[in-house]
Amino acid sequence: MRILLVEDDIEAATYLVKGLTESGHIVEHASDGERGLQMATSNAYDSMIIDRMLPKRDGLSVIEELRRMGNMAPVLILSALDDVDERVTGLKAGGDDYLTKPYQLSELTARLQAISRRAQTGVQGTVLHVGDLTLDLIKHKVTRSGRNINLQPREFRLLEYLMQHTGQVVTRSMLLENVWDYHFDPQTNVIDVQISRLRSKIDKDFDTPLLHTVRGAGYKLQEVGNTAETS
Amino acid sequence: MDTTAHLNSAQNTETGGLAARLLRRFDQRRLFRTSAFRLAVIYATLFSTLSALTLGFIYWSTRDQIDAQVDARLRLETDYLINLYKSGALPELLEAIQRRNQIDTYGRFYYLSNKEQEESSDESQETLPIRLKSVRNHATRNLGDVADLPPGSPRAFNPVRVAETTLSNGLKLTIGHEISDEQALLDHTFALVVGATLLTLFFSLIGGLWLGTSVLRRIDSVNRTASEIMSGDLSQRLSVTERDDEFDEISTKLNQMLNRIEDLMKSMQQVTNNVAHDLRSPLTRLRNRLEVTLLEERDSANYRAVMEEAIGDADSLIHTFNAMLSIARLEAGIDSAQWRETRMGDLAGELAELYEAVAEEDEHLTFTSDIQSNPHFRCNRHLIGQAVTNLLDNAIKYSAKPSKVKLSVRGNDNAFTITVSDNGPGIPEHERERVFERFVRLENERNSPGNGLGLSLVQAVVRLHSARLSLADNNPGLSVSIHFEPRRKPKPKGQRSKKAKLTKISANQEKSKAA
Repeated sequence: MRILLVEDDIEAATYLVKGLTESGHIVEHASDGERGLQMATSNAYDSMIIDRMLPKRDGLSVIEELRRMGNMAPVLILSALDDVDERVTGLKAGGDDYLTKPYQLSELTARLQAISRRAQTGVQGTVLHVGDLTLDLIKHKVTRSGRNINLQPREFRLLEYLMQHTGQVVTRSMLLENVWDYHFDPQTNVIDVQISRLRSKIDKDFDTPLLHTVRGAGYKLQEVGNTAETS
Repeated sequence: MDTTAHLNSAQNTETGGLAARLLRRFDQRRLFRTSAFRLAVIYATLFSTLSALTLGFIYWSTRDQIDAQVDARLRLETDYLINLYKSGALPELLEAIQRRNQIDTYGRFYYLSNKEQEESSDESQETLPIRLKSVRNHATRNLGDVADLPPGSPRAFNPVRVAETTLSNGLKLTIGHEISDEQALLDHTFALVVGATLLTLFFSLIGGLWLGTSVLRRIDSVNRTASEIMSGDLSQRLSVTERDDEFDEISTKLNQMLNRIEDLMKSMQQVTNNVAHDLRSPLTRLRNRLEVTLLEERDSANYRAVMEEAIGDADSLIHTFNAMLSIARLEAGIDSAQWRETRMGDLAGELAELYEAVAEEDEHLTFTSDIQSNPHFRCNRHLIGQAVTNLLDNAIKYSAKPSKVKLSVRGNDNAFTITVSDNGPGIPEHERERVFERFVRLENERNSPGNGLGLSLVQAVVRLHSARLSLADNNPGLSVSIHFEPRRKPKPKGQRSKKAKLTKISANQEKSKAA
């Protein structure tokens, strides 16, 4: 993926560029809003990471300007402002996701992938497939190898989210935000428990596991589990 | 000024204290600038003028009255004698005059003169004035001209009121009435008027000074306290008397303001202390861990393990930091546009669902929920969720094995309670107030993970929603309840318990060492 990083903190930017480059992306860096906007308009990027507060031009206004010009590349907003209101403002301005500093690199890459995928696939079908697992959004039905699987409503939404992000790492906080709409994190391992319950329903009676745990990051739903460390 | 005050104190020991105080005030030259003194001077002038006017009016009317009485008597005499003369008996008239002069007991003089000869009516009365001086025209109806007797007359210098009547054949009848008594009365009255006015002026000025000093005394006490507070002693308060006057009212208000400021300052101080003691220790730990690892060559698995631990340390630091920021923001009362009408039962139900699943996986944990109602409440769902989650996490963490944790919602839209209870060791009565303080961790939880901010955050959320938090015994265990009373008028933000809470720094340090 070709990524534009607009971040004025040079140290943080260097570290991000390194991390993202190591995971196979091409990263270009701009250190202020004006430069960022200029780069974003003159090159095509698969996704952008834009800091909320930038010199010369505010991050939000950069995003607004890009959207006004018809640039629909997915944008991940970085911010030190951790407030639900701030998040809403950021998303309203045209950002696709919002990440608060300090963040984990794994969290950032997971979210970046999630928004890029969403942008690539566009409108999703009403029936999702991962391997032999099928989820029908209209009939509210899940089957694997033709066998019916009964899921609780919340488990259904959890699986739906995982299937929409097939092959991507999905973090616990992404799940809390998107499946439960919780912008806080319980200390108790509630998400792990939910995942393990879901796993017991979709994986237990089958030979190949689909739902994998990515250590230190989160979970991944994938047909072939050889690329991830599974547990 | 100085001598006045000195004399005052010498004359009267009673007023000595006041004089000394006044003297002190004079030195400061502030007394005359006080509004109380200015007002007193204005009032003194006003009242003195008024009393002078009133007494002056009394004086003038007394004088008029006396004149009128004297004139009436003179007219009576004149009328009588004229009638006598008109009846044609001049000798009788002369006799009457003579008789009257002989029995002169009322200070009256009778005098009949011939215009040409200036003839005395009575030789025996040589003492009578021959010539009248300063005859003044006096509008006294049928009375003749009125004059005062000149000096050198028998009753020298005594003022005399005189009625002159010209008779037909060049004769002039003069009747004089000595008015020294009346004059004395008038003079006395005049002295009284002046004296009373001066006294009024004097006493109102003294009153003004006294008022000014007493105002200054109150102001001074406020000033003194303010200076002490400015020099750093925030615990000082303005004195409030039992009089409950306007000074007390303003002092009370200022004291309330000071309380609030002190609360905020202490809270700030606490955060600073927290940062110093509760973030520095884990940072030192993290640094030491890395340093020790670098001391000698190790294999990559070892490095990986240490780095993972370091990341864990950093994560917990970040978590602590976020929690501190959240609490600070909540306590500052920063409101969120995220307040929505929320069904509390649904929210609790969702959380219960999550924790039920956890309990199913954990054979040592039993989780039950008792959600009896689904009240509407306008709140920040995320914050309430966070608070209840914190309570549930705590309950699971601290309860005895096998643990029993219960979440319940009771009540209606007007008032409802969310309760989380466990069967752990509970919190002794005397520690209950303390657990809400930041970074406070009790003896038995020193070695379990956590930052001691969970309940502080709950407390902050609860306060932001104008709710009330209570701890109770669950026999055994602890039961924490949040009481919401949305239909009651919410208290204005910032009106919190006056009780200042100081973190026990030593306790935190011990905790850090233990961990």
